[in-house]
Amino acid sequence: MKKLLRVWVVSALVLMLVALPAFAQAVDGLPREQTLIAGMLTGRVGTPGNFNAWVGWKWNDRGMQNLANEPLWTVDFATGKIINSLAAGDPIYNEDFTKVTIPLREGVTWSDGVPFTADDVVFTVETLIKYPGFNDHSSFATEVEKVYKNNDYEVEFILKRPNSRFHTKFLDRWGCTWIMPKHIFEKVEDPLTFEFDPFVGCGPYKLHSYDPNGYWTIWEKREDWHNTATGMLFGEPAPKYVVFQTYSDEGAKIIAQLTHQLDVVDLSAEGFVAALEQGGTIRAYQPNYPWVVNNDPCITGLVFNTAIEPFNNREVRWALLLAIDIVEYLAQAVDGQATLSPVHVPALGAYPEYYIEPMQEWLKEFTLDLGNGEVFHPYDPDVALRIAEYAKSRGYEVTDDPEELKRTFGIGWYKYAPDVAAKLLEKNGFTRDKNGKWLLPDGTPWVIKVLDINDTSHHQFKNGNAAVQQWKKFGIDVEYIASDAYSTLQSEGNFQVGAVWPAPEPWGAGVDLYRTLDQFNSEYMKPLGVLNQAHVSRWSSPEMDDVIRRLKATDPTDTEATVAIGMEGLKLLIEEMPSIPTYGYAGFLTWDEYYWTNWPGSENPYIAPYSHWGTFKYMLPFLEPTGNK
Amino acid sequence: MFVRRYLIPRLLQYFLVIFLGITIVFFIPRFAPTNPVQRTIAELRSRGTYLNPADVEKMVEDLTRLYGLEGSWFEQYIDFWKRLFSGDFGISFFQFPVPVIDLIKNALPWTVGLLFVTTVLSWIIGNIIGGIAGYYNNKRWSRIMDGIVMFIRPIPYYIFALGLLILLAYVYRLFPIAGGHSLGRKPSFTISYILDVLRHAFLPALSLVILGAASWFQTSKLIVQNVNAEDFVQYAQLGGIKERKIMFKYVIRNAMLPQVTNLALSLGQILSGALITEIVFSYPGLGNLLFSAITTGDYNLIMGITALSILAITSLVLIIDLLYPLFDPRIKYK
Repeated sequence: MKKLLRVWVVSALVLMLVALPAFAQAVDGLPREQTLIAGMLTGRVGTPGNFNAWVGWKWNDRGMQNLANEPLWTVDFATGKIINSLAAGDPIYNEDFTKVTIPLREGVTWSDGVPFTADDVVFTVETLIKYPGFNDHSSFATEVEKVYKNNDYEVEFILKRPNSRFHTKFLDRWGCTWIMPKHIFEKVEDPLTFEFDPFVGCGPYKLHSYDPNGYWTIWEKREDWHNTATGMLFGEPAPKYVVFQTYSDEGAKIIAQLTHQLDVVDLSAEGFVAALEQGGTIRAYQPNYPWVVNNDPCITGLVFNTAIEPFNNREVRWALLLAIDIVEYLAQAVDGQATLSPVHVPALGAYPEYYIEPMQEWLKEFTLDLGNGEVFHPYDPDVALRIAEYAKSRGYEVTDDPEELKRTFGIGWYKYAPDVAAKLLEKNGFTRDKNGKWLLPDGTPWVIKVLDINDTSHHQFKNGNAAVQQWKKFGIDVEYIASDAYSTLQSEGNFQVGAVWPAPEPWGAGVDLYRTLDQFNSEYMKPLGVLNQAHVSRWSSPEMDDVIRRLKATDPTDTEATVAIGMEGLKLLIEEMPSIPTYGYAGFLTWDEYYWTNWPGSENPYIAPYSHWGTFKYMLPFLEPTGNK
Repeated sequence: MFVRRYLIPRLLQYFLVIFLGITIVFFIPRFAPTNPVQRTIAELRSRGTYLNPADVEKMVEDLTRLYGLEGSWFEQYIDFWKRLFSGDFGISFFQFPVPVIDLIKNALPWTVGLLFVTTVLSWIIGNIIGGIAGYYNNKRWSRIMDGIVMFIRPIPYYIFALGLLILLAYVYRLFPIAGGHSLGRKPSFTISYILDVLRHAFLPALSLVILGAASWFQTSKLIVQNVNAEDFVQYAQLGGIKERKIMFKYVIRNAMLPQVTNLALSLGQILSGALITEIVFSYPGLGNLLFSAITTGDYNLIMGITALSILAITSLVLIIDLLYPLFDPRIKYK
């Protein structure tokens, strides 16, 4: 017994010896009150010692795109503005969009002190064209005839074919083509295998250290921060150090934030609620329900494979939409915490003002032909009121102001009309068996297969599951398939319905929808079984091709013309409904205000709120230390 | 005699198993619907990068060539064996252009360090306590131990590990929440760094040792109870041999034989990593690496890790087979 006691005492001493230093500090050697710790969205870095972001995927949100790099332009979806970062102004195109001139910001230096000039831009583009292994090789090789500098701060591109959106290759909306420091890369034998460690960028922070296992990267504020676009535009960033850290487990993330070891992090819907319920110094983007970040430029929803029956029939697609009770759907997916959009762009930034509001009359007048001279107006401009009722039934406090409700829950969506959905299906030969289950026109049971991402916290997963419930309730058998191979299967057309973005997200700033509509270009569509790089719905039409062609020939800075053509494209998508837009991406973001305050919450959305976007570096000058140590 | 009748056939079997195992590992990922090139492009797209569909098609061609996925599966298979004999597993597709061997080298010490120690420790603790508890099956303390283990053993590992994390990293804040070492700490051969690593490994190790030892305890106890009922044990007891000698020399030694084989298999499986442990404690290792390789269709990385794992398991089983006469004098290779 004595021996056993001795063993326990020795074990306890060893445990204390090992455990006690854990109290000492969260970050080794860095003053916590001057350090900001952010969670990484894309997880553990697989290539910790490789910062060559021009080749493959390099976990750019570890601080490369959001702190230490500057693009030519940056999208800020919170204000709807495009920020001139390394560019000094808008791109200037010639009349037929075959030549573009870009003015560059003067006085910027790389983090090793070398001045940034047009030589860096020219070198970058020429290098990308020269080596096929670069991500952007094809993009530049097929488009750029020649690139040269007019002077140290002006660069000119001669294009092989007209492209009015060429400059967007350098527009950062969660990534873009970055400029290489010529003085480093020109000395490298093979720029594809070059690891670019230590990293050198034009942003206000420089590399301090990183975990060889990929769990964290630390950046330190440059002493010459004033020589960066961030410094010139917004002033001195407040934190001296910024740490990006990954936690593989959601529980660990929440514990880290509750113990003030994590200042900003994206959580799952469930983790978000759990963290907020602990109260304390943790806050969300909105101070009250629905708390979430609701101005993200992504639109979520469902996609039909229009290359196969019966989803090649627009009336079937519309019937499936009308079989959805969007209030129940939204409740199941995100507990009502999101903003609906009836069109294929989210209800944020410029899009409500330029597209959704002006389309209201058209949406109200839009009809579906049910046969026998009967028509149906599917649009519901008052859906926000129904969601508010749901929120109240859950005990959440919501305003009674209809305009405020529309801003929160959406300007409108579509009616829940299962009877109309039934008429549309019956019109197309569908029948029901004696149990009320839907049968295909050939009399066999209708089983819809929904292919989804294998990630319960993802909005694709939430959309897919909500759709399954709605369609089952309507009397259709639904098989749900969550697979890690979903992207390949969808690209090959090996699916029926996918819970993926109904259209590529727009830029998030400005009115241009070229990025959204071009994916429906028939030029890119492939037959079933062949990998398709266009929209996975495989839907296109001559009318949409015409819209895309005209939009491409329009100067994106010509707001009136751009909006008019973009709206035509949105109307075509609504009429044909190859994919169902549901709600704008809801961000489950939490901030800890123990060390840092003045986060860009909904009461003061001075910049996009995420730490993984390129705008994060522009947020840092506005953060205020609390003085807690 | 031993060489011709046992060793050579056994070695042939050993190489055949390795060959077949690695061949299967080569083909299985290729039957999966995940296309590594498409997966890389989807990753770039899902992260917001705008890729013009026409450019992407050219990019697919480039990446297929760079990833070495051109040619038939047979050509790729031959090329794979050629590279394997020179110790080259190729480059990781998803972590392009990092060589697979570098990724494994980075993760291996963490996995081996954690899992070798915890596997051996839990085996020793579980077998000794389980053996004694099995021998003294009728004692009250043995039944209490059994009850405790019966309570711990069915707890899902994830819940158990998360419970430890909450208790010892949040409620009592004795240990760090995540990682293999502290933020900002650079690896070095210093006392403070080693202590830092031990501090970070403590909770993952504790979770593995407790559940692992509970498992060994149960099997060991059952085997000992069975051996205890054998005639030779009762004969020894009737013959007046000391109880301590009967317990250790007669009963537990016999009971250890299947456990030694199981230990070899458990040690061989170390190279597959401990995925849930690595996730809960954000601990570096091969488990996470293998998991991400599977989900991203990173054929080379899958093959690199599983080939090592096959090699480790088959080699350890071979070694145990050859050493078995040392543990069990009844076995002789003639």
